[in-house]
Amino acid sequence: MRQAGQAAPPFSPVLLLGLALEPVRPSLLQPVFDAMLNLVRRRHPDILERMAAYADAVICIDPTDLPFALLLEPDPAAPRLTVRRDVDPAEVSATVRGPLETLIALAEGRVDGDALFFSRQLVVEGDTEVVVALRNAVDGAGIDLLEDMATALGPFGRPVRAVAGAALGLLSRLRRDAETLRQAVIAPAVQGAEIQSARLTELEAEVKALRRAARPARTARGQTA
Amino acid sequence: MSTAAEPARPDLVRPELVCPAGTPAALKSAVEAGADCVYVGFRDETNARNFPGLNFSRKELDEGIAFAHAHGAKVLVAINTFPRAGQPELWHRAVDDAAAMGADALILADIGLVDYAARRHPQARLHLSVQAAASNPEAIRFYAERFGVQRVVLPRVLTVQEIAALNAKIRPVETEVFVFGGLCVMAEGRCALSSYATGQSPNVNGVCSPAAHVRYVEQAGGITSQLGGFTINRFGPGEPAGYPTLCKGRFVADGKASYLFEEPTSLNTLGMLPDLIRAGVTAFKIEGRQRGRAYVAAVVQAFRAGVDAVLAGRPVPDLDLDRITEGGRQTTGAYEKAWR
Amino acid sequence: MNASTLPVSPSFLTLGPVLFNWRPEALRDFYFRIADEADLDSVCVGEVVCSKRTPFFAPYLPEVIERLAAAGKEVVLSSLALIMSERELDQARDLAQGEGWLVEANDVSVAAMLAGKPFAVGPLVNVYNEGTLAYLQSLGAIRVCLPAELSAPVIGTIAKAAAAEIEVQAFGRLPLAISARCYAARARNLAKDGCQYVCADDPDGMPVDTLDDEPFLAVNGTQTMSYHYMDLLAELGMLRGLGVRRFRLWPQQADMVAVARLFRGVLAGTLEPEAAAAELAALCPGVEFANGYIHGREGHALVEADD
Repeated sequence: MRQAGQAAPPFSPVLLLGLALEPVRPSLLQPVFDAMLNLVRRRHPDILERMAAYADAVICIDPTDLPFALLLEPDPAAPRLTVRRDVDPAEVSATVRGPLETLIALAEGRVDGDALFFSRQLVVEGDTEVVVALRNAVDGAGIDLLEDMATALGPFGRPVRAVAGAALGLLSRLRRDAETLRQAVIAPAVQGAEIQSARLTELEAEVKALRRAARPARTARGQTA
Repeated sequence: MSTAAEPARPDLVRPELVCPAGTPAALKSAVEAGADCVYVGFRDETNARNFPGLNFSRKELDEGIAFAHAHGAKVLVAINTFPRAGQPELWHRAVDDAAAMGADALILADIGLVDYAARRHPQARLHLSVQAAASNPEAIRFYAERFGVQRVVLPRVLTVQEIAALNAKIRPVETEVFVFGGLCVMAEGRCALSSYATGQSPNVNGVCSPAAHVRYVEQAGGITSQLGGFTINRFGPGEPAGYPTLCKGRFVADGKASYLFEEPTSLNTLGMLPDLIRAGVTAFKIEGRQRGRAYVAAVVQAFRAGVDAVLAGRPVPDLDLDRITEGGRQTTGAYEKAWR
Repeated sequence: MNASTLPVSPSFLTLGPVLFNWRPEALRDFYFRIADEADLDSVCVGEVVCSKRTPFFAPYLPEVIERLAAAGKEVVLSSLALIMSERELDQARDLAQGEGWLVEANDVSVAAMLAGKPFAVGPLVNVYNEGTLAYLQSLGAIRVCLPAELSAPVIGTIAKAAAAEIEVQAFGRLPLAISARCYAARARNLAKDGCQYVCADDPDGMPVDTLDDEPFLAVNGTQTMSYHYMDLLAELGMLRGLGVRRFRLWPQQADMVAVARLFRGVLAGTLEPEAAAAELAALCPGVEFANGYIHGREGHALVEADD
């Protein structure tokens, strides 16, 4: 899904973070997400319960400022959260895409998902129903990721919370840089899509013309039966 | 609209603030933000916000009612879809359970279900849902006199003047009006646009423009939103995008593309609160059981402050709710005649 | 469905009220021809959509009713659907107090006014189940035309429980929504109060297309309708088997006398549904048909008959 950017965006901490993560094999990050899923599952069982109707779904959570995405399979019996560098749109039911900080704020119910979408900070693709269900389930759980982690870590939690909080603050300040990076990274894909979309537009125009030709004239044909 | 400071108004009746909750977490947020009442639904087709991942199990409602009552707030249970012929049990059970759990009122729309509730639970307080679209005194008296309905949620078709005149005619029946949130432009409960496009409707399934039938198609430089395969809108880069609610789409009629029915906009009557209170409305309702806790907290706080200000004779504070409104746009809707 | 397998119980055809704003003289002539030539059992008259239109046809109403009745048609007086003002309520009260004609309630308030005497319930009152039906029957409802979005099994369940005659919408643009706002005026940048009666420009409804030029809906003033015409010619036999006794044809800009003949022919078993459907398409050139609701699908869908 992602390639190293060919363009040369300005150097910045997020770019460096991205570059630093770039060579990391996703499998190395997997234990972190396994732990996170276990934690959420233990502390917020109602999330998966609310997702019961979507047990077979695969949801791609794609933080646009990180070089990997997460696949969530919310089967209450065997949930999975898999970190992946490449995601084929065909293998997922839906994708929710946005800056990491926004996704975390959404998960914690600190921001309104509808408002985010209205302002285009969040992009949803595929089966919208699954994403809406996840949003509602997560919002209803009252998650506090940092608090959850701190609790899980016991007495060592407090410093973790402080550090993680600081990291999020940093991310927030660097979102502008992240966007630059993202643009550079996805530029080739956008170009491909534009070519396809031009062909589609041609086809659509043909269909419209045919349909118009088949349409009855709209002028009133007299008002008596 | 009152802008200058006024003396405290003991002559005015303090309206209840009726706030949405799609989840237990939202219920807590609403109560903590100052809701007098919270309205909720069961997690099935019996309510008009039967959205994925939303609403209350029996256990959650039981706990929610206990929490609300412990904090001096009421819980109203919406059972406001129209029971499917041959399968009324699901709806009857919802009425029975809500009544047994001590819900402070049942919000109903279907004549047959109101009749059932009135016969089986004569002690229960009954509210008429907006989905019943009782838009005149004669319709309201029908539900009040025959079934003992005590409050009617008014359809969003009346102006403030019409509401004031109506209240004078139907006392002691109370009225509840929407003050904020997603706006139906059609008379509620009398709209089949959603099922025409998708096969699922508010009346039957409790959903309008359901997410399962929504697609966002990203094309070069913008997004197309579709419902049931019909293009509902197209947004350019950076343009605020909306959920493809059918009546807020852009369509072509009379040779031009426009928001034929309504712009993607949210009802916001904050500035109108003094007029609505003077019109004799008993309760103010905030739409949005499908919205998150953040929305609930922000809107409830704003309206709590607004209502309290009017009652204290102070001007309504100018609170910014732009961020959580659809497309960032607001309207006072049908409350002003020009909307028609 | 083979025509010879149709049940033999009688079935009836109703011509629904004209929902559009036709010129008064044209509307009068339409009804005169219906009275003289159409094979219909019942004919509804009266303004359903917008009370602002009422005064124009009022002068012609008595002679239209007289002509229809003289021709042996049952005349049904249809009420407004969305009643908001005192003036509209008075109009409904007049209707309810009138003697001699069956009145069709299109709003709950009108059903309340009619309680205690026989009345009809129109498709714009929400009758979705046997509970509501039973209550309306207890008030005096003797005929109920069901809302558009019900599927055949649901209709069958209601019909089975019904003492009242159950009617189903079988032809024409489906009324889908009613509003306080006028979209015909809005499309022309006019306010409803100064609407200049622009809805009259579209005697068959104003087509509403998507941004991709796909036909979708039709606007009739404050009412929103389907773009597609409902056509249940192929489903008449099945619905009769479910206990539906009566079918409603909505007046459109088409030869309604000929349309009625097709439906009567299929009901009587003298015309095959397939042949009738082909004739109907010829009577309504360019029109797209739908029957999705009856098959439990989205309303705009066209489901081929499987026999």
